This record gives sequence, C-alpha cells and structure tokens, in this order.
Amino acid sequence: MGENSFAHRKYTYFHDQKYPCEAIDIHHIEVQSNGAKGVFVSLLAAIVVGNALYLVLVKEKSVTLLFSSFLLWAFLRKLLLGKPVKKESVVIMPTLGVQLETLYLSGRIMRQFVPVSKILKPVLQECVTPVTCYWSLSLVMREEEELAPVFKELRPPLKMLVPVWKALCAATDEGSSHSCTEDGGNAEDGVQSEKNP
Amino acid sequence: MMDGLIGDRERHRILMVSDFFYPNFGGVESHIYCLSQCLLKLGHKVVVMTHVYGNRSGVRYMTNGLKVYYIPWRPFLMQNTLPTIYGTLPIIRTILIRERITLVHGHSAFSTLCHEALIHARTMGYKVIFTDHSLYGFADVGSIHMNKVLQFTLADVSQAICVSHTSKENTVLRSGLPPEKVFVIPNAVDTAMFTPAPENPRSNDEIIIVVISRLVYRKGADLLVEVIPEVCRLYPHVRFVVGGDGPKRVRLEEMREKHFLQDRVEMLGAVPHSRVRSILVSGHIFLNSSLTEAFCIAILEAASCGLLTVSTRVGGVPEVLPDDMVVLAEPDPVDMVQAIKKAITILPTIDPQDMHKRVKKLYDWHDVARRTEIVYDRAMKCSNQNLLERLSRYLSCGSWAGKLFCLVMIIDFLLFHLLQLVQPAIDIEEVPNMVMSLGEGSTAGDDIPEQSSR
Repeated sequence: MGENSFAHRKYTYFHDQKYPCEAIDIHHIEVQSNGAKGVFVSLLAAIVVGNALYLVLVKEKSVTLLFSSFLLWAFLRKLLLGKPVKKESVVIMPTLGVQLETLYLSGRIMRQFVPVSKILKPVLQECVTPVTCYWSLSLVMREEEELAPVFKELRPPLKMLVPVWKALCAATDEGSSHSCTEDGGNAEDGVQSEKNP
Repeated sequence: MMDGLIGDRERHRILMVSDFFYPNFGGVESHIYCLSQCLLKLGHKVVVMTHVYGNRSGVRYMTNGLKVYYIPWRPFLMQNTLPTIYGTLPIIRTILIRERITLVHGHSAFSTLCHEALIHARTMGYKVIFTDHSLYGFADVGSIHMNKVLQFTLADVSQAICVSHTSKENTVLRSGLPPEKVFVIPNAVDTAMFTPAPENPRSNDEIIIVVISRLVYRKGADLLVEVIPEVCRLYPHVRFVVGGDGPKRVRLEEMREKHFLQDRVEMLGAVPHSRVRSILVSGHIFLNSSLTEAFCIAILEAASCGLLTVSTRVGGVPEVLPDDMVVLAEPDPVDMVQAIKKAITILPTIDPQDMHKRVKKLYDWHDVARRTEIVYDRAMKCSNQNLLERLSRYLSCGSWAGKLFCLVMIIDFLLFHLLQLVQPAIDIEEVPNMVMSLGEGSTAGDDIPEQSSR
C-alpha cells in the first residue's frame, strides 16, 4: 500500500498505509521551512551585529552594547522563525494507546505516550487568543483537568486535523458500538462538522 | 444551488459586537440575545463577539447554534475593553474572514469594543450598522468627548437603528448623522416569560407597589426616597416591594428607619433575572422613577405581567405604552405622589389578562427581527466607497478632530494592508457549516442548502 498525502500552504499531511489500520495507524504533518525567511533573518543578524561592532570598535561605546545586540537578534530570530519543528506525528495503536512525536530541525525527537484507558474523547476545538483564532485537536483525559494537545507546536489547518480526529475517535471507541460522527453530547466538545460539497 | 437566498430574500451573515452580553444581564444584553435568536429563526447566520467574562473565554455555543466569541481582552472599566484602537484589528479581521461575515452590527455607544469593531470593519470594506440604546447628555465634559467619539464612529456607518423616536433625535443631534440613515425599531419583550398571575392576587384591602431597578442616581433612587414615605403616610393600605441593588440602597434603608416603615417597605436586594417575573406578579402597580430612559423595557415587562405602571415622563417612556396602561408624571416627588394617587383610583378597572394580551399584540421580537432585516437589506445596497471618499466624511467632523480622525483611519488602513501581507486571507480557514444535533436527532439546522427554512 502506499500513503496518501496532501499539502496546504506550508503544511503537508501524510497518512502511512504500510501497516493495517487495525494494528497501527500513523499520521504525519510536516512543515516546509521558508527559505526567504531564513535569508531575511541572516541579513538582519548581519545588520544588527555589524552595527553593534561598529559602535563598539569605532565609536568606542561600551561592550555591553554588543551583548545586548546579540540578545536583540536572538529575540527577533525567535519571533520571526518561530519554533524549529520539522514534523509532528501521531501513531495510533488501537488497543494500546496513542504516541505523539515531535521532530525538531536539530534532529531531537520528543515523544509522549497516552494509554487508551486514559483517553475519554478526542475533540476539535477553536482556540481564541487576543490576536487570532485557530483550530486545535486535543484529547480529553480521564481524571485530569487539562486537555492534552495532540499537535504541540504546529497549528495545522482543519482539513488535516479532521482525518486524525476521525482515526483517534475510531481507535478510542473500539469498545462501544456507536460511531464517531454522531456526537450528540456537549456542543462545546466535539462538533459534528458537515462540509459543503 | 441558491446558497445566499431564502425564498426571494437575501440571507445575511451577521456579526453582533458589544461589550455587553451574557453572562451579564441587562437591556442591551437581552436585546442582542433575543434579536439574534429571532434572526436565526428567519434563516440568517448570527455570530456574537464580546470580551472575556471571568473564566468564560473562547468560543461558546448558545441555543439554536448561536456562536459567541469571548475574546481574551480584559475589561478595564465598567465592563468595557481597554481601548487600544488598533489592538483588536487582528482578531476582528480573523473572525470576519473565518465566519464569512457580510454585515457587522454594533450595539451601545458605551461599548469600546463596538466602536473599534465598527471602524475596523469599515476599513476592511464591510457594511456596518449601529444600534444606540441610550440617551446621553451634551453639556458636561464626559458627554462632549463621548459624543465626539460617536461622531467619529458614525461618520461612516451604513445605517443606524434607535429604539425610540426620542432616541433618534438624541443620536442625530449628538453624532451629526443624517436622519434618513436612522431607523426606529423599538425593543420588545418576551411575553411568553412575563405572564400575569393566573388568578387575581388582589385582596381588596392591600395594594402592593413594586419597584425593580438598579438603585443609582440615573434611575431616580433619590426620588423614591422622597415619594415612598409620603405615599405610605397618605395610604395606610399600600405596601412597597423594592428589588435591586446599588449605591443608593443605603439612602433607602435610612429612609425606612427614619419613618419606621420596616413592615411596609420590603427590600429584596439584587434580584436575578429569572426571579423578576415572580416578584412582578405579586404586585399591582409598578413604579419607575428613572431620570433618563431611551426606551424602558422594565415597564414593558411590568405591563406584560398585568401591572399598572406609574412612570416619570422622560426620554422615550411616553412612546412605550398606550395611555390607559401607564400614568405619567414629571420627575418631581409631588407630581409622582399625585400620579400614584390616580393609579390607585383606576386600579379596579385594570384587567391583567387583557393587558397582557394587548402587550403581546403590540410587541414581538419576531417583528423586531423582520424590521431589522429590512435595515440590513438597505445597508447591503449602500455603495462601496474607497478610502479617499470616506476620508472626506471624517474631515467634516470638526476642525482639529476631523484631521485627527483622518489620521487614525489612514493608520488603520496601512495596518490593515500590513496585516494582509503578514497573514494573508487564504491562511485563515473558513469555519465549515455546522449541523448541531441535539441528542434525540432533532437538528437546529444552521444551513444545508436543500433545507428551506421559511
């Protein structure tokens, strides 16, 4: 079998279909790094540090200016480039649980395993911040107050979250007979979404 | 597939904006809620935007799929969001794009969020409607500044709505808006909730006068302090029930002690909205002593419960009820006592059930929604103007104020274009149309194209 995938802006979604779904179900969301932004940030670094060096060496200003310029550059870099994430994956093992992986650009991998008995329900919800509003997929956990986000660093679009949500619902609903799409519970939790054809 | 039409009427996607919404209770709040529910029934899509209330932040859904955005901007003064002018531009733009809004409807001149949303919506090219719910003065410093801000916001509004003819006159004078742009659509009352007591509670010896209002200067609490002892002295069989709380409560308590009226004046304190009806039906006369009122929903609620109303003749109050349901007086204690005397004499002729039926025919939220829909249709037909044409309207606001407003709008325009570069509109996903299934499978349908909701 192969894998199916589609892309939207800087995100690409992959669904591994190498193994049977009942045993293990893997979804990846990858980020394309923006080349132009990297060039811009390097240019900015050159300007800021160069300016600081000029002021220190030629105009005889204090060396703390050099340090503060480094700090400024680090702050601007963080602001513009954001988090250095390459890929986030969700590995669903229906009888065992869900493994959430984050692969960073540096090669570091962060993993979190959530046993299936702890998951009450996966929910799609809209998160509102003072400047924006985005969709996020989270797991409602038993005996815990906080929701566990599935994609910790990335904010993929809704159409990539929906297949992962459906797969999670199917995996966590294995015992009960009613299907995931009929969610008649609290409207705030999981809204049944019907897309326009 | 006629996606945008219901029958031959256009279907709108409306964003209601105000600082005042549930879980706060008040005139503006219930107006927005009831109007939104009726518009949803007519087939339009309504989304409400307000600021965070305590822990209540993010997206919430109310009855019939009414979506409310509680955006995380903390209120700083009297339930108003901190006015940063450009701070709310990103979130408003995001909401307008993701919900595919066609029309922005702001409520209440006191709401800073409303003003900001209206100017940003105009910069982004949306049609904008404003509803004014209160009367305001002209003379003191606060009023002058408030009116200038209103003039700025309303300089470029598509249409405006006022809740009474007096309010229309007041708004037009304060803001310099051409009167042709202002529509008068009175508020209404939920007559299903405010019904009179099934059997007549009148025991022929005792008459109960009910007062329910915030005990503040504006609502005439000082008048009450003068009127109540006088009425109690003249009529031994009259009792008062006072519901509500506020800074003037202390004065009323003092009055009770001074005239030994503890058994004749009952103070209930703050009354939750759900209990208002039960308190109203226990009385025979409703007393309203406001010093200013654009439209008094309180007397409408009282009339719907079958009470005879005595009120001060201020603002839009004379427009609310027919002359045989209300006794009006000047906001003067002597005149009010006379009015209460007259009310007591005509009380035996009042039939609560009949009064309720008349109010039910006169006031209906569905009627308000239909009339508002006409205003929306008119607003959508307004022409789109580019920045230069709009700037000329702002310049006419005043010699220095006009230039300041133009500067504010130019900066807003530049920030909007910068935002379009940094976060292009295609990055903001549109929310898919939701079908809310309510337990037993009955769908309070939002929209599926095949569904005809009329």
